[in-house]
Order: sequence, then structure tokens, then C-alpha cells
Amino acid sequence: MIAQLVFVGLTTGAIYALIAVSLNLIYGTMRLLNIGHGDMAMVGAYISFWLFTLADVPPYVSFLIAPAVSGLFGLLLYRGMFAGLLRRVQGDAVEGSSLLVFFGISMVVQNSASLLFSGTPRAYRYFDGIVEFGGIAVTESRLVALAVAVVAIGAVLAFLKFSIWGLGVRALIQNRAASAIVGINVDFAFTFASVVGFALAGLAGAVISMYQAVTPFMGGPYTTVGFVVIILGGLGNINGAIIGGLVVGLLETAGIALTGPNFRDLLIYGVFIAVLMLRPQGLFGRKGAH
Amino acid sequence: MKAPSWFAGPIGGALVVALLAAFVVPGMAGDYGIEFATTLVLWIALVQSWVILSGYTGYVSLGHAAFVGAGAYVFILTWGAVPFWFGLVAAGFTSGLLALIVGGPCLRVRGPYFVILTLGVAEFVKYAVINIEASLGKFGRLMIGTPEPVDIYRMAVGLAAIAFVMALVARYSRFGVGLRAIRENEVAAEMTGIRVRWLKVGAFGLSALVPGVVGALMICRTGYFEPLQMFSPQLSLTIITMCVAGGSDNPWGPLIGALFLNILSELLWDSAPELYTVILGVVLVFVVLRMPEGIYGTAVKRLARRSRKAVPGETTP
Amino acid sequence: MGTKNRKITRRTVLAGAAATGASFAIHRRARAVEPVKIGFTMPKTGYLGVACPVAYQAYELWRDQVNAAGGLKIAGSEPRPIEFISYDDQSEPSKTVQIYQKMITQDKVDLLLSPYGTPFHLALGPVAERHKFPIVGSTSNSTLLRDLGVKYMWAGQQAPDVYAPEMVKFMQSVGIDSASMLTLQLPASLEFKKFLTPELEKAGIRLDANDEYPNSITDMTAMVGSVKAAGSKAVLGLSYPLDSALYVKTAREMKIDVPMQLLFIGPALPFFSQQYTGADLEGLMTIGEWSPSQTAWPKAKPFYDAYMAKWNEKPDYLDSVISYASCEILEQAVAKVGLDHEKLREVISTDTFDTIKGPIKFDGNDNVATKPGLLQVQNGELEIVWPKEIATATFKPKQGWS
Repeated sequence: MIAQLVFVGLTTGAIYALIAVSLNLIYGTMRLLNIGHGDMAMVGAYISFWLFTLADVPPYVSFLIAPAVSGLFGLLLYRGMFAGLLRRVQGDAVEGSSLLVFFGISMVVQNSASLLFSGTPRAYRYFDGIVEFGGIAVTESRLVALAVAVVAIGAVLAFLKFSIWGLGVRALIQNRAASAIVGINVDFAFTFASVVGFALAGLAGAVISMYQAVTPFMGGPYTTVGFVVIILGGLGNINGAIIGGLVVGLLETAGIALTGPNFRDLLIYGVFIAVLMLRPQGLFGRKGAH
Repeated sequence: MKAPSWFAGPIGGALVVALLAAFVVPGMAGDYGIEFATTLVLWIALVQSWVILSGYTGYVSLGHAAFVGAGAYVFILTWGAVPFWFGLVAAGFTSGLLALIVGGPCLRVRGPYFVILTLGVAEFVKYAVINIEASLGKFGRLMIGTPEPVDIYRMAVGLAAIAFVMALVARYSRFGVGLRAIRENEVAAEMTGIRVRWLKVGAFGLSALVPGVVGALMICRTGYFEPLQMFSPQLSLTIITMCVAGGSDNPWGPLIGALFLNILSELLWDSAPELYTVILGVVLVFVVLRMPEGIYGTAVKRLARRSRKAVPGETTP
Repeated sequence: MGTKNRKITRRTVLAGAAATGASFAIHRRARAVEPVKIGFTMPKTGYLGVACPVAYQAYELWRDQVNAAGGLKIAGSEPRPIEFISYDDQSEPSKTVQIYQKMITQDKVDLLLSPYGTPFHLALGPVAERHKFPIVGSTSNSTLLRDLGVKYMWAGQQAPDVYAPEMVKFMQSVGIDSASMLTLQLPASLEFKKFLTPELEKAGIRLDANDEYPNSITDMTAMVGSVKAAGSKAVLGLSYPLDSALYVKTAREMKIDVPMQLLFIGPALPFFSQQYTGADLEGLMTIGEWSPSQTAWPKAKPFYDAYMAKWNEKPDYLDSVISYASCEILEQAVAKVGLDHEKLREVISTDTFDTIKGPIKFDGNDNVATKPGLLQVQNGELEIVWPKEIATATFKPKQGWS
């Protein structure tokens, strides 16, 4: 039972980590607070659902198509809106303005989905066999989710660590003013963060659609969790987002096994508040990073 | 406090407008008109209260949902046990107290950390109330014998007027100078001897009084209390939307933002019930991108520029 | 008042829109029969957005059927076509209150249908009372409606204090002596739990695991684990659609082998049979007392077929059916006494109506003709297994998962 709880917690946490890492890329580089992030996941989920239902396209193909679509959306948003906004607005104002822009975008995306597809939940079956190993029994889709999250996050980390372009993005996240002086291509870093950030959200949605009913309003909770996780781990800190995601995933499974399911939110937000009281910059955030 | 005359004009104006709104509008508007006006006026009260902390100091709070919900909860708990007016006041002060308690620790963090922390605190309070209600065996609470809509409307107008005057006084008094100094540079403000911590917590407490009473009036309108509805994070987001759309450096911006969004959504809702949230989203994006200082801020700038051109050499006060 | 009222709120409407509206009105008057305007709100956005389509799809089906048959029959005049005036209430009861006032005083609707969900009915009760405008309830099932003391609104479904004893009677009839209860912390589930707990105790049914969970729940491993450890003979999931689906997912993984597994709302919804089929769905139970195969109700099967034909999915046996039945009640009342609200209130309070779920008769706010029941998935179809009088199949213990 303990093994089951921990493993399930890790699979849930891995998806949270995927969402948080992508949210953090967008925030870390551009200081944009994307409260429409969960809605991008929703778009990915619908893409996966409709492709499977209408054209028999298996979800693992959608794992490529959904991020392509949402990544393109990210590119268009950056070129069409945020490139201009970031030139005109600076400092704390970016965060406030972006919050509202994304609130507007979120309204448009959510309600368009609700107009097009109605609020009816949709679902399909795939990877729904049960796999047993070492006293653990889980649905295949959980394993697939775990694998996809690990591969995707691994790819992002590898890019940031080993490629010269990634180095630039990382430098930008760590120190914006200095990186511009040393001649890092800021426009590339921003474009990269927009495309990859949005693409990973779409990917997460395509994965989630395998085991959770798809609705126009499914994104909200993922946005909230995403923000809690990146604040917990430290804004702009990619590793912090991964650990934060796993912590919240484990709180949701093992944590409520110890306290009771009705304490789920008290537990998550309680830990969140407590961490910020002790470390106002998050678990792995740098002092004065705000 | 430089000159009370600074306030005299706007406060007198607010009083006149409030009296007109309270006693002339109900005679002209039908039942539906009063419902719309009540919604509008409650939003005005909310944005005016929010701006005291978040507009002036730049500490953007998503905590208003908790204050609205806490006020509503205290009001329904005391419903029938204490006089109506006492319940309203208790609702306001409970929320104010809650803000003072959580304000101290919360206001140590800044920027996006503060934004999400206040969201976390609001959700924490929400689920605490949900659990308390569930353990009491309650499944939503009814209120029988709530005031007539027109009376709720008049109370809402009074509340909005109070909120406006609070926001105005807070803005143009020494208190407000301190708050805005915090926004410009908190460290520098502290060094010049401003008691930053007390100012921030005080502003947080002040800004929570009005939403508590708004919560009480909101449940009077439906006669029903259910925590999930009353602690909705959507409410906090909508407040920010109105304030940023209008501009949040003074009481006028949020006022205009609330009017703008309420009237716009009313028009759209009536003529395009299916599409209106989509259109609202588009308008919002447009406003933020085109008018980064809000409708009021941008308008003032444009007017100032024009008058400068017209009368060379003269500067605006 | 009407004209003044118009001035204030319409002043701001674009002149163009007003002009088209006016010419449309004139055009309509020029036609032989003016439509009957029927108003309602639905939470198309917000947290109930996922749940309400099953209700308004039933409304729309009814409208289309009545219009295709020549219009709504009205006592004392010729039939008139139905025109819906409907708005999104954004899952906010205060919006519902506001919009119904608008529909009554501004849109001047002739009749009203009910909104979606219990809190919305409760918020609307006083409005109906103030305007003396009858509203036949549908998707509401709370004892609180009685406490409201209104004369112009009636509940669609049975309140939990009537439902709970029936559920326990069923459990006794199939020899269940222990149960685990999982309750969602939302009003309808909590109210059911409140009335179910003493009934279980009275009947000597042991309550083992007894957990509550919030609407934000994303994982039930811990909860279902405690159910498994308890080894009860029944799982009573007082759940909503999405958490019902989550329960099934987790129960499959943990191989919950319990004869009676009931989920409050979910198994009857279309998406549930997209997500789970075959052995997973088989044997699950839910609340409801309707089936198209009950031949005692000649209108049941035709409704099912028409709904399938129009929406390409099954109706929800609870919400779609009661929503449609509320339309039928209104239709029959109007055919008898016309559009006068006071006469309508009288006839709705006293008559017995012939609906797709059999006869419905109100005593006070409650429908006393329908006995609440339970459904079970058998061979992929939902069958009534309780009460015995209307059962279309006998209960079969759930047999594992796929």
C-alpha cells in the first residue's frame, strides 16, 4: 500500500512538474505570469481526444501533434503580443499586465472551447490495461504519463545544460541585465521560452486526456497547481519546479493517506504557506530574487 | 495631513452621487435595473477597497475572496441571533481582523510570491470553512426574511461611498504618501523612517473591512450561503481586472474600470449571450496592450498633453 | 413602469441593435401567431458548465417537438410556437436571480423553466414568490426548498430524506450488512450523507470507512485503499461526475471486489461510457428511477429515441428526464388553464401529470407520486433495480473489473 501510494504520487507529481517547468520557463525568461497555462493543456487534451475519436489517431501520435499546435500558438502570441509588450513595459508592471493579458486569453480560449464543444465532459480509452509489479498495480496511462514527463523534462534540462543556446537562456533566467550586456540573444531566448513553454503545456494536456475526462474548464486547477509549485520551488528555478511538483504530488496521495482526504487542500496550501513563511524566496529560490 | 480641502470636493461629490443613486435610481429603474445597479455598486465597493493596499503599494493581492467569504460566513452564523446592522459590522470587522492576522507574515514576501501566497491563503481559508461546515453537518445554509432588493441596493450604495472615501483619504493623506513610497522603493522608504511594516499591515486590514460587508450583502441577495460559491478565486481575479483596466494609482481608475467592465459585460451579455465572455476577453487584452496605465491613467495623460499644447508654459498641478 | 424601465437599461444599447429588435417585433406581430416566450438560465460556463448540457438538451428537444407538432396548446386560444429566451448564469446563483428578474420584467416572458442545480432553485424561490410566477423545478433535490416556504416553486427530484430510507431498504433486501461511504464536500452529497447515516444505523448496517473529500480531489488511492482494507459489502460513493470517474479508475487498479458499488452521479452520463466500458461499467449502480424499457410509461421509449436522434448520445436518466418532465408538466398545465400565472400555480399544485417518468403529483413542494429508486448497469444498459414496483431487472452483484 505504501509503495502504491508513493508510486502514484510520483506519477501525479511528474505531470505537475512538467506543467511547472514549462510555466517557469515562461516566467523565468520573460517575467510573464501565464494564468492561461492550464488552458493550453486543455487545448492539448481536446486535440488528443478529437484526433482519437474522429480519426483513430492514437494518443502517442498526439503527443507530437498537440505540442506542435500549442507551441505554434505560443510563437504567435509572443510575436504578436508579448514582444511588443516587453519592449514597452518594464519591471513589476510586466507581471501585472501579463497576468491580465493571460486572463483575457484564458477567457477567450476557455469559452471558445465551451462554445465549440459544449461543457460536456469527453473521454476515451487508451493505455488502460493494468500493470503489476512489486506489489504495485497501476493503469498503463500513469506509466506513460510518467515516462513522457521524464523524457520531456530531461530534454529541456539537457538543452539548457549542454547547448550553447540553452546556456544563453539559463543565463537570462539568472541575470537578465547582465546577460544583455554580454551579448546573449534575448529575442531567441524569449522565442524559445514561448514555444517550448506552450508546447510542453499542450503535451501535458494530451497525456492527461488519457486518464481524465476532457472539459473546457479542466485547465484551472492545473494553472493553480503550476503556480503553487513554481513558487514553492522558487520562481525561475527549473530544478525547484521539478522537486516542487513531486512534493505536491506526494502530498496529494501519501499526505492525505496520513491525514484524510478532506484535508487535501489544507495540507497543500498549509505546506505552501509554511514554506514561504520560512523561506520567502521559495525552497530553492535565491535571496532577493524578487 | 495637508489640506482637508483636498478631500472636501470629492467627498462632497461622492455624498451627492450616493444620495442620488440611493433615492432617485430605484424610482426610475425596474426590478432588474435595481439588481444590475446593486451588482455594479458592490463591485465598486470591492475595487475601492482593494486599491488601498494593492493599488497604492503594488502588493497585488488575490486575497479578497477570503475576505468576502469570511464576512459572509460570520454574517450567516450570526443571522437571526444579532440585529441586522450588528451582523454587517461584525462581518466587516472579522475580515479586517483576518487581514491583520495573516497580513504580518504574508507581507514579508513580495511580487509574484505575494500574489500566489494570498491565493494560497484564500484557498486555505475556503477549505477550512468547507471542512468546518461539513463537520457541523451543514449542506448550505438558508436565510429567510432577507431585506428587500431595494434596501440591499441602498446599503450597497452607502458601502460603496464609504469605500470610495476610504480609498480617497488613504491616497491623499500622509498614510497614502507612505504607501506609495513603498511601491516606489520599499528599502528606501524604510530608510527614510517610514514604518513600512505597520503601514502595509494597516493598509491590508483597512482594505479587508469593506469586502467583509460586501460578502454579507451578497448572501442577502440570494438568501443562501455555500462556501465554494462565496470564496471564489474568480472574484479576486475580476477585481484585479477592473482595477488594472481602469488604472489603480487612485480611486478614480478602479471606479472607471468597474463601470467600464460592468456596463460592457451588461451590453454584450444582452446582445450576444453566447459570445460575450469571448468578446470580453478580447477587449481585456486590447485594453492592457493599448493602455498600459489603464483607461483613466491613459486618458489623463492624453488630456494633459493636449492642454499643454493649448496653453504653452502652463503645467498641470 | 415598463417603459421607464426600458429607458434606463436600454439607453446604452447600440441604436442599431435596438432598431433591429424593434423591426423584428413588428415583423413578428404581423405574423398570424406570436410565439410563447419561455425563459430560463443555464450555467454554461463556470463549475457547472460540465454538468448542465444534459438538462438544456432536454429542454431544446421538448421545444422542437412541441413546435413540430404545431405549437404549444393553450387553453382558450390557438396553439403558439415556443421561443426560448435563455442566458448563461455562469454558475452563480446571484446571476440567476438577476437574470430571472430581467426575463420577468424586461423580456416579458410568458413562462419560465427552472435553472440547473439545487442552489439555483433555492435562490430563485423568493423571486418566483415575489413575482407570483410559477416555476416547476427540475434538477433540485433538497429539503431546504421546503424550509423556504414558497408556493410558486416545486422540486423536481425527491429530497434526500425520502431517498435515503429507500436506498437502505434496497440494501437490506439484498442482504448487505456493511458499507463504506465516500462523500464529496458539496451540498447535495453532504445532505444525502446527513440523512443516510442515521438510516444505515437504524437498519443495523455497519459503517466502515467513512471519508469526505473536496471537489479538488485528483487522486483516490488512499481512500479506496481504506475501503479495500475495510472489506465492506457496499461502497456508497456520494460523488459527482468527475470524481465518480476517478473512483472507477482507482477501484480498477486496486481490484475492489465489492458487490454493491454505487456512485451518486456519473454512471448514467454519456462520457462515463466513453471512458469505461464492458466489465468496468457492468454492475455499477447510481441513483435514479427511470428506464426507457419500463413499459408502464408509454412515453419513456419515444423520449429516449428522440433524444438519441437529436443529440447522438443517451439522455441522463436523472437530469435529462426530470428536465423534460418539468416541461411536460408546464405543457399540460398550460393546455388546461392557459398562461395565467395564478391559475397555473393552482393546477400545478393540485393536478396529476402524465410524464415520461410516469405520473407526477405535488404535495406542497414535493413530488409524491414518484418513488425514488436505484439503477444498475446490466449488459451495458441502465436498469431500474429498485423500487420493486417499477424494476426492470433484479440486482446482480458487481463482478470485478476488466
